[in-house]
Amino acid sequence: MLYLTVLYDPQCGLCRRAHEWLAEQAKIIELKFVPCGSDEARKRYPQLNHDLTKKDLTVIGDEGSVYFGPKAWLMVLWALTKYRDWAYRLATPELLPTTKKVVSVISQNRYQIGRVAGLSR
Amino acid sequence: MTIVISTYLIYLALSIALTVWVARTLHKNGRVFLVDVFHGNEALADSVNHLLVVGFYLINFGYVTLALKLGYAITSAEQSIEALSVKVGMVLLVLGGMHFFNLFIFSRMRRRANVRHDQPPIGPDAFTPVQQTAQEA
Repeated sequence: MLYLTVLYDPQCGLCRRAHEWLAEQAKIIELKFVPCGSDEARKRYPQLNHDLTKKDLTVIGDEGSVYFGPKAWLMVLWALTKYRDWAYRLATPELLPTTKKVVSVISQNRYQIGRVAGLSR
Repeated sequence: MTIVISTYLIYLALSIALTVWVARTLHKNGRVFLVDVFHGNEALADSVNHLLVVGFYLINFGYVTLALKLGYAITSAEQSIEALSVKVGMVLLVLGGMHFFNLFIFSRMRRRANVRHDQPPIGPDAFTPVQQTAQEA
């Protein structure tokens, strides 16, 4: 895998902040950011359910493998030089359920978290 | 030759012999590790192995040289042996510490190299066809 396409939600302050942070990190695999549901996203992935990608973070590998929600978060971590170890740790059978729960809570409340943290514009 | 001079000479001979022995062991057995780390690139493995051994020699000989001076008078063979045991013991401890540090570096390099080439931590949810955009083609 050479790069991952990250379909992010441009409406949410938390996601924009995360995007900025990710842009600064050293990467093993390149990340391409495309707003979810945008024309570019629809052109690149004509058969993808784009309404679903607005609900939660979606990451797509260069060969078309789709990772949704908590799996997408793990894949993004996996792409980063400093956090690849963490991706494996969080994906172990012992930690995966907790990882999924925590990530889902953050995802579902992303607008509120962004507002509380003063990230929404 | 006074007893002090012979003590120094014995100390140097022992220390140098020990350092050379440990360095050669490291050189011989570390190679397999490094070839694995560099995915069969033997030229690179040999180069890094050699550089590590040079550093090992420099640090150890540096220590041996700095620790040569006794700082007190010895007059008998008994005192000479006692002084030697302290000096050589210190050299052995430093060698041991350096050796484990080298092993630590080897294992860390190996773990990093393995991690870097591993598969994704989880399987995908689905597959979708990718339409290459004009700018990539």
